[in-house]
Amino acid sequence: MSDLASLVPILLGGFKTTLAIFGLTLLFSIPLGLLVAVLKMSRFRIVRYPVSFYISVMRGTPLLLQIVAIYFGSYYLGEYSGLDISFDRFPAVIAAFSVNYAAYFAEIFRGGIQSISKGQYEAAYMLGLTKPQTFFRIILPQVVKRVLPASANEVITLVKDTSLAQVIAVTELFALAKKQQAAYASIYPLFVAGVFYYVANLLLSLLFAYAERKLNYYK
Amino acid sequence: MDMQSEKQPILKVAHVKKSFGRNQVLKDISFDLNAGEVLSIIGPSGSGKSTLLRCITQLETLDSGFVSVNGKDMILAGQTKNGMAKYAQASVLREIRLSTGLVFQNFNLFPHLTVLQNITIAPIRVLGMDRPAARNLGLELLSQMGLENKARAYPCELSGGQQQRVSIARALALQPKVLFFDEPTSALDPELTGEILKVIKSLAEKKMTMVIVTHEMAFARDVADKVLFMDQGVVVEQGTPEFVFGQSENERLQTFLARFSG
Repeated sequence: MSDLASLVPILLGGFKTTLAIFGLTLLFSIPLGLLVAVLKMSRFRIVRYPVSFYISVMRGTPLLLQIVAIYFGSYYLGEYSGLDISFDRFPAVIAAFSVNYAAYFAEIFRGGIQSISKGQYEAAYMLGLTKPQTFFRIILPQVVKRVLPASANEVITLVKDTSLAQVIAVTELFALAKKQQAAYASIYPLFVAGVFYYVANLLLSLLFAYAERKLNYYK
Repeated sequence: MDMQSEKQPILKVAHVKKSFGRNQVLKDISFDLNAGEVLSIIGPSGSGKSTLLRCITQLETLDSGFVSVNGKDMILAGQTKNGMAKYAQASVLREIRLSTGLVFQNFNLFPHLTVLQNITIAPIRVLGMDRPAARNLGLELLSQMGLENKARAYPCELSGGQQQRVSIARALALQPKVLFFDEPTSALDPELTGEILKVIKSLAEKKMTMVIVTHEMAFARDVADKVLFMDQGVVVEQGTPEFVFGQSENERLQTFLARFSG
């Protein structure tokens, strides 16, 4: 059991990277997802079609592949064009996760926005509220409540997906645990890593349950 | 001739036409309404009553015709664009919108806001009223509606009748020149319609100009200065309640009214 005392601090180092990927991805993908959702509902086909294509590619190919594509793709593109557009490993991971999760969030948000009745827009219009006022003060607060359960799913999946970052050698929790597995010649470090993920998600579930309760003041 | 001194109707609707695809729902509708008067619009379902209201309140665009509210022209008379009526510029349309209020059949209150916030959001955000003044206005309107103790409640905590009274207060908060009601009691249990009709009657006594689409015939006759009977997109009969409900011998009107007197 003395292993645990030395193992936990090592894994905590990787967990910090995991948390950074998690936090930065949410920070970028939620606003981006909202923007994509709004664009997907555009009246103009020229806006709607490329956005639909983007969403279908993001959801239709593995995130693993997207990480590799952004990291190596940007590197080779930079080589050919002579422009400095290549990503470092960590920013490449954040970029790939953000555009990928934005696509999923966009579809959740779109569903939420479209579930708000036309009457809400009409009432706001009759009261003279502007379009931005209507969206941010009337529609969005109601959307937040409706998309919370589906968003919780995505957020929890994201915690586990962070382990994909190791494909371009970003040493997050799981990569580090695997290294320790080799060093200890035991799968024990992987179990400890599993406990880290589980506890993180348990806390998130509680947080979302709390938020849902908080928003239960109206129907 | 002194045209200025002549009394101008506060609401003018002339030759309004509207189609959805190939289905013409409004075929040449005209009426006038003076300030302080109440107009009831009656007619069978699908006669175009609600569409007419939605065209006048700008929730739908009409195809041709003319509308003016409180002396402001919504439609540029005599001008067309691709055969359709040409609307006034956006700022004028907005001004007109702010001078009209609409009470919806299913209330359309904002569920995430308290009763008071539902009423004060427009005065604060649209008119730029300061919060204490808006609050006072909101509380005063609520007490007019007999709901002074519900200011902090959420719409979902209220009965249908109470919700509809809040939505009337919300519409009144912008001090509209003309208030429109789109079947205000149709979504309510029968025992709750009375409280709404009472509120509308008290507004009529205060000389609020109102246009009410309704299926409550007794009420339409009671509260209105003018009644408009619509069927299949045309105004079949219009006049005083005494005329429409008593003297008119129009066959379609008779058939329609017979269904309510049973």
